[in-house]
Amino acid sequence: MTEQAITGAPTASSSGGRAPWWTKEDWWAVVLGLCLVIVGCGLFLGGSSLAWIAVTPAKWADLGQLGADFAAKWPRYLAQLVLWLALIPGVLLTLGHRLRDTVPAFLFLYVTSVLIYTLGQWAQAVPLNLEPPLVALIVGLLLANLNVLPRAFDAGFRVEFYIKLGVVLLGATLPFTLIVWAGPVALLQATIVSVVTFGVIFWVARALKIDPRFAATLGVGGAVCGVSAAIAISAAVGGKKQDAASVISIVILWAIVMVFALPFAAAALHLPAGVGGAWIGTSEFADAAGIAAAQAYGGMAAKFPGALPGAADQAVAAFTLMKVIGRDMWIGIWAIVLSIVATTRWDSTGIDNKPSAGEIWRRFPKFVIGFLVASLIITLVAQSVGHAAYTKLADPGLVTPIKSLRVWAFTFGFLSIGLTTRLRDLSGIGGRPLAAFSVGVLVNVILGLVLSVYVFGGYWATLGQ
Amino acid sequence: MSGERDAACRDCRHFEGEAAALERAMPALASLSSAHGANRADDGLCALHDRYVRASAVCASFARVTALIE
Repeated sequence: MTEQAITGAPTASSSGGRAPWWTKEDWWAVVLGLCLVIVGCGLFLGGSSLAWIAVTPAKWADLGQLGADFAAKWPRYLAQLVLWLALIPGVLLTLGHRLRDTVPAFLFLYVTSVLIYTLGQWAQAVPLNLEPPLVALIVGLLLANLNVLPRAFDAGFRVEFYIKLGVVLLGATLPFTLIVWAGPVALLQATIVSVVTFGVIFWVARALKIDPRFAATLGVGGAVCGVSAAIAISAAVGGKKQDAASVISIVILWAIVMVFALPFAAAALHLPAGVGGAWIGTSEFADAAGIAAAQAYGGMAAKFPGALPGAADQAVAAFTLMKVIGRDMWIGIWAIVLSIVATTRWDSTGIDNKPSAGEIWRRFPKFVIGFLVASLIITLVAQSVGHAAYTKLADPGLVTPIKSLRVWAFTFGFLSIGLTTRLRDLSGIGGRPLAAFSVGVLVNVILGLVLSVYVFGGYWATLGQ
Repeated sequence: MSGERDAACRDCRHFEGEAAALERAMPALASLSSAHGANRADDGLCALHDRYVRASAVCASFARVTALIE
């Protein structure tokens, strides 16, 4: 007779302490993203480029143009597919997913992403408002809720991993000086909105007789980083499992509503691209949904430059600075503060769930490090070649291909949001928690708009110019 | 001190900290987040208390995570 630990994929328990780094998708996003950036820089400095493999569909007006574009580019699409297949299923394998699920799932994801990207390049996509991020979401939602695909394919539809990879690649398209310049503004605006939103949701929830642990989880779900914040804070305060599930469902419901509502509301208000991105960064709850909304708004700004001033990339850059630098990074501090309140002020659960300072690092979204390092790398390369050469050579030969790979990674993420969002999985949405969260949403949207437009509008409208 | 650390939830049979199991228990989790994210740290579900807790938490009902195999 022997004793054996019950194990599956590597866990904190099976590794004898903390979960090893390779079980966290954040680190894989950093590794993969920085490898692509470094290879791109190496090729550029050696006189070559990632441009051949970072292929994207060209704009088209009729089927003849479309056919000619694909006939000319199909070997490049094939090579890009092989590149992604060489990288992504291997990472998902280390996270505990089976290749027999991830490979077919990724093939489906890639082919569908090519179709959606191509649709977005159609001349009629502008008048029909066919923004690729929103189309990807709708297509994914339809397929998931009509049960078209096996659930095992979810192993390849890893929303967070694709979005984090995209954010690291996004870092390589932003000068480090821009992050240093705009980061403090993002932090100030996000802190004001986060604290107020949390306070409103928590206060309304408590007024509605909701348990304080549940109220705190709801509050942080609305104030910081959506579902990720909800599970982090639920653990920090020792919340009930069904309460965490309920907050997850409420956040998803509102995030899906906002991903469609915010870009069109921003367009109706004629907000500049950067201002719209900052507002979305303040008022959308989840990174993935927010980037979809910001990219959609950037796309609108690119197509209607007269009505919506600013460059398309300003929307995604402002969103990322606001959400990632302003909100996501601070989840460890929220966890410690609320944990102290829970253990000292609220009724005991019978579990000693004390926090430690190391939690700030353990919960730190490590992909932010990749975002910053990628930005630093590209800034150093730009400095080494000089401004004139950077504009003439590095922009098309280095930055644009990385931008294209970023758009692919984000498209995989947007499609995966829809493909993994099944209405029947949204459980336990009670009337009182939904009401408390909805009041917070209302306050957040109004306050976020006021700060983005009237208080800090000057910064966001000129971001990167 | 080490005894207290050894008796933490991460080594308890009532604790489930594996990412795939958490995503099965809360299917909507992977839609806009992930159990593989750094934010989650090593948290997991306590089946005994039906709560979501840190791996470092402790309680009086600790039972070591071992299975008897014939």
